[in-house]
Amino acid sequence: MIQFDAVSKRYEGGHDALLQLSFDVPDGEMAFVTGHSGAGKSTLLKLLAVIERPSHGTITVDGQNLAKVRGRGIAKLRRRIGMVFQDHRLLMDRSVFANVELPLTIVGIGRADRARLVRAALDRVGLLHYERQLPATLSTGEQQRVGIARAIVGHPPLLIADEPTGNLDPQLALEIMGLFAEFQTTGTTVLVASHDLRLIKQMKKRVVVLHQGRLVADLAAEEVL
Amino acid sequence: MNVPVETVPMTASRKRTAPTSRFASWREHHGWSAGSSLKRLAQRPFGTLLTVAVMGLALALPLAFYLLLGNVQQLGRALGQDQTINVFLQNDQVAQQAQLLATQLRGRSDVATVTVKSPQQGLDELAKLQGFSGALDALDANPLPYVLVIAPRADLDAPGVARMSADLRDLRSVALVQDSGQWRARMDAMLGVGNRIVLVLAALLALAALLVVGNTVRMDIASRSEEISVLVLVGASGAFVRRPYLYAGIWYGLFSGVLAVLLALAIEFSLAAPITRLNAAYAGKLQLGGLPPWLLVAVPLAAAVLGWLGARLVSAWQLRRAA
Ligand SMILES: Nc1ncnc2c1ncn2[C@@H]1O[C@H](COP(=O)(O)OP(=O)(O)O)[C@@H](O)[C@H]1O
Ligand SMILES: [Mg+2]
Repeated sequence: MIQFDAVSKRYEGGHDALLQLSFDVPDGEMAFVTGHSGAGKSTLLKLLAVIERPSHGTITVDGQNLAKVRGRGIAKLRRRIGMVFQDHRLLMDRSVFANVELPLTIVGIGRADRARLVRAALDRVGLLHYERQLPATLSTGEQQRVGIARAIVGHPPLLIADEPTGNLDPQLALEIMGLFAEFQTTGTTVLVASHDLRLIKQMKKRVVVLHQGRLVADLAAEEVL
Repeated sequence: MNVPVETVPMTASRKRTAPTSRFASWREHHGWSAGSSLKRLAQRPFGTLLTVAVMGLALALPLAFYLLLGNVQQLGRALGQDQTINVFLQNDQVAQQAQLLATQLRGRSDVATVTVKSPQQGLDELAKLQGFSGALDALDANPLPYVLVIAPRADLDAPGVARMSADLRDLRSVALVQDSGQWRARMDAMLGVGNRIVLVLAALLALAALLVVGNTVRMDIASRSEEISVLVLVGASGAFVRRPYLYAGIWYGLFSGVLAVLLALAIEFSLAAPITRLNAAYAGKLQLGGLPPWLLVAVPLAAAVLGWLGARLVSAWQLRRAA
């Protein structure tokens, strides 16, 4: 699903955020990207969603060389990547339902199918009865779950999340990570960036460790203690 | 992808989504954009009214000038119909010669009527004017010549009248030609300038209206940059992101166009009474018109297009910057 081949990223006027990074994530796998703040985790995810472009190297997502993805192709690619953000990025003036519905509206799915898919997604994150509310009336954890429902509503083949539990207490954080693990069991490839090592260890999944933009360890699920 | 199909219903449902259903959802999003942009305008009534008022005034101004110019033109035409050319013959010309010349001139194709005024008639007219009778008594002989009063054909244009006066001036028996042709030529020229001014004004003010919409939509977009970035991140196309703002531009344009028409109609209405009086003074010969009905429809539509254009230009520029 994901291939990084000798990828480097240098921000304008900055130092190297990523350096000679190479790794693969096969279809249907779940992996964590971890490292200290500034290690390059967010940069890595941004490259996947073509929010940033690499300075060197080749990134392939679902068989597509991202260097060749431009213009409308970027929007089309993003429709196949579910994205979860630390600050959930919900539209605060639209209902929970409308927020989750958004990716389906963009793709042009009919009203009846949308309603069905939105309810299924809200059901999976346990928020079915909140659909009419505005996000502001929900707790932080619930808002994050709405963000996750929006990311998975269209059943994208790839789900990426940047510090999805950053604002949550340990109990809620574990629940959210459990949700991601659940999506993996239904065939979605999942890549989660998190600096919370204790949480990651509990999940028993593959862990890619970055340090100052370099890959310093790549642990298979069995190797995580 | 080695993923079983039922676990990726996105791909599956996209295949299942028939073109008609995609068209239906596209139409639905248009409806939603039109509705939600209208709601957003209603949520900021003051700002919306201000934009619509500025735009509406900008568009009403050329309409008002158009109205004014149209009426001046009509007035000029009506006055022009009353214009006659007075041909003063040399003092040595007698009645017979005057009649002969009148007959000749009646043969011209650009002449409608010719009336011969004798020196005595001229004197009588003068005597009727207050203050002259005493002065006339002091004269021992009638100093007035024969005068031919020529009415040009009503449809004769200013150059035609000028040509006729020139012909008349060339006649040996003629001492002086007092013609309204110059007056007509000046007025025609002035109307030409006026027409041009209205066009230039309309173009400038349409540009101003475009800028007003553009600026308002620019601020709209700036205040919603967060929403836009989310839309872009979840894969919205440029057209999808722009749609509500284009509708906002269309609404601004449409409303200000309607306002401009209402203002113009108010001006027309306020002119109605004085014009009726003027018309009565001209024995109903004036045909002073208002704005043609097609213009009342065309102005709001054109303004809506203008609003769309302003929003389109600004959103293209701003969203490209945001990307
Ligand atoms: N837009 C940017 N411009 C310049 N430097 C950046 C930008 N974003 C991140 N960086 C730098 O790149 C490095 C990696 O950042 P980031 O990917 O956000 O790390 P992490 O998510 O692991 O904390 C940091 O040194 C950061 O300062
Ligand atoms: Mg980060």
